[in-house]
Amino acid sequence: MIGLVDANNFYVSCERVFQPKLEGKPVGVMSNNDGCVIARSAELKALDIPMGTPAFKLEWLRQRGEIHLLSSNYELYGDMSARLAQLLRDACPEIAPYSIDEMFVYLEGFTTEQCEALGRKLRQRIRRHLGLPVCVGLAPTHTLAKLANHLAKQDPHYEGVCLLSGQDHTTEALLKRTPVGSVWGVGRRLAERLAIGDINTAWDLRESDEKWLRKRFSVVLARTALELRGTSCLEMNALDQPRQRIMTSRSFGQPTGVFTEVHNALRRHAQRSAEKLREQGSMARAVMVFLNTNRHRRDQPQYFPQALIPLPSPSDDTRVILDAVRQGLEQIHRPRFRFMKAGVMLLDLVDAKEHQLSLLHPPARDRHPFLMATVDQINQRMGQGTINFGMTDAPAAWQLRCAHRSNRFTTRWDELMKVGTHPGAVAAAEAKEQQRKQQTLASAKRVTQPRA
Amino acid sequence: MPGQSFHFTPALPLSAQPLPYLTFLGRAGFSGFPSPAQDYEPCTLDLNIRLVKNPTQTFYVTATGNSMEGWGIFEGDLLIVDRGIEPRLGHILVAMLEGEALIKRYALYQGTPHLCSTHPHYPPLPLEGSDCQLWGVVRAVIHEYVR
Repeated sequence: MIGLVDANNFYVSCERVFQPKLEGKPVGVMSNNDGCVIARSAELKALDIPMGTPAFKLEWLRQRGEIHLLSSNYELYGDMSARLAQLLRDACPEIAPYSIDEMFVYLEGFTTEQCEALGRKLRQRIRRHLGLPVCVGLAPTHTLAKLANHLAKQDPHYEGVCLLSGQDHTTEALLKRTPVGSVWGVGRRLAERLAIGDINTAWDLRESDEKWLRKRFSVVLARTALELRGTSCLEMNALDQPRQRIMTSRSFGQPTGVFTEVHNALRRHAQRSAEKLREQGSMARAVMVFLNTNRHRRDQPQYFPQALIPLPSPSDDTRVILDAVRQGLEQIHRPRFRFMKAGVMLLDLVDAKEHQLSLLHPPARDRHPFLMATVDQINQRMGQGTINFGMTDAPAAWQLRCAHRSNRFTTRWDELMKVGTHPGAVAAAEAKEQQRKQQTLASAKRVTQPRA
Repeated sequence: MPGQSFHFTPALPLSAQPLPYLTFLGRAGFSGFPSPAQDYEPCTLDLNIRLVKNPTQTFYVTATGNSMEGWGIFEGDLLIVDRGIEPRLGHILVAMLEGEALIKRYALYQGTPHLCSTHPHYPPLPLEGSDCQLWGVVRAVIHEYVR
């Protein structure tokens, strides 16, 4: 049996663990740079505010106090996700994290009843020990487990845990009312193509001829159909393999056309990408740099350039990648455009261990593996960006906007949750702090006035 | 710049660099006095092991307010809160009451369970009929005298 543990509105739930006053209120979490809504509480969904709504459209609601909008706090979400994975690892024989808020658990050798009991126990324990509400879907295959999880979320009758055996009437009824586009691995385009072949529901897909699917579409789709029948054949290990490309990109807080500002942003992205590269033990053969202007500003000239700089030999050295990024930027940067977004992508990755040294192309630079490892270690221990490569780190236009970020309650000593010993204690302390700040401000003014 | 070959100049002339040779010298016979602690595995005490029994379920919070001073919790103290412990009478809890997290002692008052503090201004809060929810059990308080 395979189980999928999926947290309900994960980002919002993480915030609520440490801010109980948000419980029962409409809460949204915004994307990097406070651009648009990327996570919604059930109450916000009930207000018919769709995913991806630009934050400025909701500003008036926020100011009236009707909804709460928070900047994304990835440090907090990442830590809670790691705790969730560890909790599952302690309770189950094998687990595989699928995304920040979804984890597969593998329960081999358990009976159906035991699986369901374990699912309920896990759900209860995660709620109690981490404060996160989750739903558990159990089924013989990944694809069915995903559907079971969806059902557990939609239908309160299941109380958060749904088990599909793959052969029973519940499975059949569910598959018959699930559009084929909602099946794991079937995208919108594929769903449209399937509709032409008169396959509209998950049940239709399940009943289709496997050979026909393989010939007409793909092996993966044929396997998906098998999975819907209850035969497990999609492997999760595809996820464990090192990623084939690494991308770091961000929007600027304010559009900018200044070379040094764009360059600084790209340098930071390059360093972060190189760090990720070394973390997974790969080397890149090429570096791509891209810039975007704001496509929604029709009144401004548009420009979406990109440059690909092949590296003379595969490398994971930040300095080599920084060199390539500068070359790329020099090729594509035009000062008359105002750029909204910049990014660095590392391509054609090879495994650092398997990479063969070429006789004709010796490494472009004397490699210093210890230097890079040391830099990574220091940055890991002391916080990202402790050691940078030639950065001027003035608060520039491109730095993230995160005006409404909550505290990083689990990863920073100076941002812990405050708990009062009596009702109103925290509010009183905050008011006092505010007053103190205003007083120091006022006294600072008094000092400056006589001079003027 | 990639593409150009990079010339590496050693800081010292090659002749001045030490030749590689084994730094470990084998010696026959008795060499020095063996440490008497050799057979005792060193295991430096670690507060984490003593105070954090369940790392995944342990959270740190800061105390605010003066009404728990009788139980040794002062303004600004660091609390180690374990969400994995079953609460028992006498435990100090972090509890959610009306959208607010509170530090209180879980105890009997006039025969029924209440959330108590040690300040006369704040009477015990009855648990019966309230929507109070448990957040976690305080395992330890860290009061730093020197920061």
